[in-house]
Amino acid sequence: MDRAMSEAPVVKVSGLRKRFGAGPLVLDGIDLEVARGEFVSFIGPSGCGKSTLLRLIAGLTPASEGSITVEGLAPEQARKRMFFVFQDANLMPWRRVAENVELPLLLRGDAPAPRRERVARMLEIVGLAGAEAKFPWQLSGGMKMRVSIARALSVAPEILLLDEPIGALDEMTRDRLNEDLLAIRSRDPFTGFFVTHAVAEAVFLSSRIVVLGANPGRVTAVIEVPFAYPRQPELRETPPFLRLLATTAQALRAVRVA
Amino acid sequence: MSASSPSRLAAFLLPALTAVALILLWYAFKAVLQVPSFVLPAPHEIVAAAWEERTVLWSAALVTVRGALLGFTAAVTVGFLLAMALGFSPRIKTSFYPLILVLQMMPVTILAPIFVLWLGQGLPSIVAITFVIGFFPVVANTTMGFISVDRHLRELFVMCNATRAQEARYLRIPGAMPYFLTGMKIAGTLAPIGAIVGDFLAGSAQGGVGGIGYMTISYFSQLKTPALFATGLVACVMGFLFVGGVNWLHWRLLHSWHDSMVKKE
Repeated sequence: MDRAMSEAPVVKVSGLRKRFGAGPLVLDGIDLEVARGEFVSFIGPSGCGKSTLLRLIAGLTPASEGSITVEGLAPEQARKRMFFVFQDANLMPWRRVAENVELPLLLRGDAPAPRRERVARMLEIVGLAGAEAKFPWQLSGGMKMRVSIARALSVAPEILLLDEPIGALDEMTRDRLNEDLLAIRSRDPFTGFFVTHAVAEAVFLSSRIVVLGANPGRVTAVIEVPFAYPRQPELRETPPFLRLLATTAQALRAVRVA
Repeated sequence: MSASSPSRLAAFLLPALTAVALILLWYAFKAVLQVPSFVLPAPHEIVAAAWEERTVLWSAALVTVRGALLGFTAAVTVGFLLAMALGFSPRIKTSFYPLILVLQMMPVTILAPIFVLWLGQGLPSIVAITFVIGFFPVVANTTMGFISVDRHLRELFVMCNATRAQEARYLRIPGAMPYFLTGMKIAGTLAPIGAIVGDFLAGSAQGGVGGIGYMTISYFSQLKTPALFATGLVACVMGFLFVGGVNWLHWRLLHSWHDSMVKKE
C-alpha cells in the first residue's frame, strides 16, 4: 500500500462538475485520487451520478468543469489502458460467445492465432470453456455477464470500469461472480472501479468505498476497507466484515435522509 | 390457449375446407344465375384454359419473372447502398430523404409512360417500374436499421477505439440486417406485382411472347375469359415463389440469433 501511494495516482479527479446540456448539476465538486491496484466502489442512491462518474473516467461523456486524468492522460487518450463492463452484459446478439470475447482484439488488429488463444484462455478463466459456439440468447444472465467480463479482460486492461454489472442477477449468482472477479484480479491485477447499489457487494470487493449523495452528486463519505486480498467467501460471515457492512449501510442511509 | 391456436393439421385443413366451400358456392352461383363463361368461367374451365395455354403462359411467366428479379435485385442493391449513405451521414439524410419521399408519392401509372418515353417498350421499362415499386421499402427500413444502433454497443466500440469503417462492418451493417430483410420482404411481395403492372403498361410481344401483364390484355381483348383468369392463377404462384424465396433468405441470415426466429424455451 505504501509503495502504491508513493506512485503517481492512476486516476486523478479534481474539481469535477457535470451537467447534461443546460440541465441541473449531476455531479458537483468531485475530488478523487486512486492508486494502482486499488478497487474503488461508488455507491449511492439512484440519481446520485455514480454511473455518470464512471462514464466520465472512461471518457464516454465530457466533464463540464474540472479535470480527470487517467495515467496522466485525458480519458479519451487513455482508452487503450482501460475497459468498460456495461450494464446488462451488452453482448452483440449476432456474434457467438467466442466472437463476442474476440471483438476488442479483432478491432485493435491482433492476428487470428493469438486471438483464438487469448479467447480460449479468457473463457476458461470465467468458467465458460465449451460455450464458445453459443449465441447470447442461449445463455443465462450470469453467463452473459461472464462473457462480458471475459471480453473486457481479453485486452488485459490496467483499469477495469464496471457499471452495475450484476445488478439484475440473483444473489447466489452475484456472490459467485464477485468471488470469481476477485480470483481473476489476483491473477491479472487491474485497478477496479465498480458502481453498485448493493452494500455487501461493495464491501466484499473494494479496497475503498466512495459514498455519493444525490442532487447534485457529492462525495459524502469515504470508507477504507482494510481486509487483505485474496479474500475468501467466508469473509462475509466474520464480525469485522459485518461491522463494516453496518458502517457503510449507515453512511448510505445518512445520504438518503439528507 | 389451445382454442386460439389451432393444431398443424387444422392449420392445413381449415383453409382447404374453406376453399372447397367457396368453389362449391362459385358453381352454385354460376348455375343459379346462369352466368355465361365469358363473364365468369367455372373453376374447371380456368384450369383447362391454363393447361391449354400452358406453353404461352409458361414463357410469359418466365418473361415476368425475369423482369421481377432484375427490378427486385436493383431495388435491393440500390436501396441498401442509399440507405447506408443516409444512415451514416445525417447531412445526406436531411438533404435527400424528402426527395425520396416525393418520388415515392408519384403513382406508378404516371411514371410508367415516362419510363416508356425514355426507355421504350419492353424489359428496361418493366425493370424500371419494378425497381421504383420495390425500392422505397428497402431504403426506408434499412435506413432505420442503420440509425437505430444500440447506444451501449456503440459505446463498446468507442471504448475499443474502433474506426468508422470497423463500426460499419462489425456493428452497423449486421445490426441493420433485420431491418434490411424486412424491407426486402416487402419489396419481394411487390416485385412480381410491379413486373406485371410494368408489363401491362410497357410490355410488348416483340420477338416472342409478352409477360403475364401483356397476356392479360391479349386475353381480355379476345374475350378469352377463362385464360384471363388463368393468368391470375399464374401471378399468384409467382408471388408465392418470390415471397418464399425472400422468407428463406430471411431465415438463413437470422435464424441463429434474431428474436423473430429464435425459439425461446
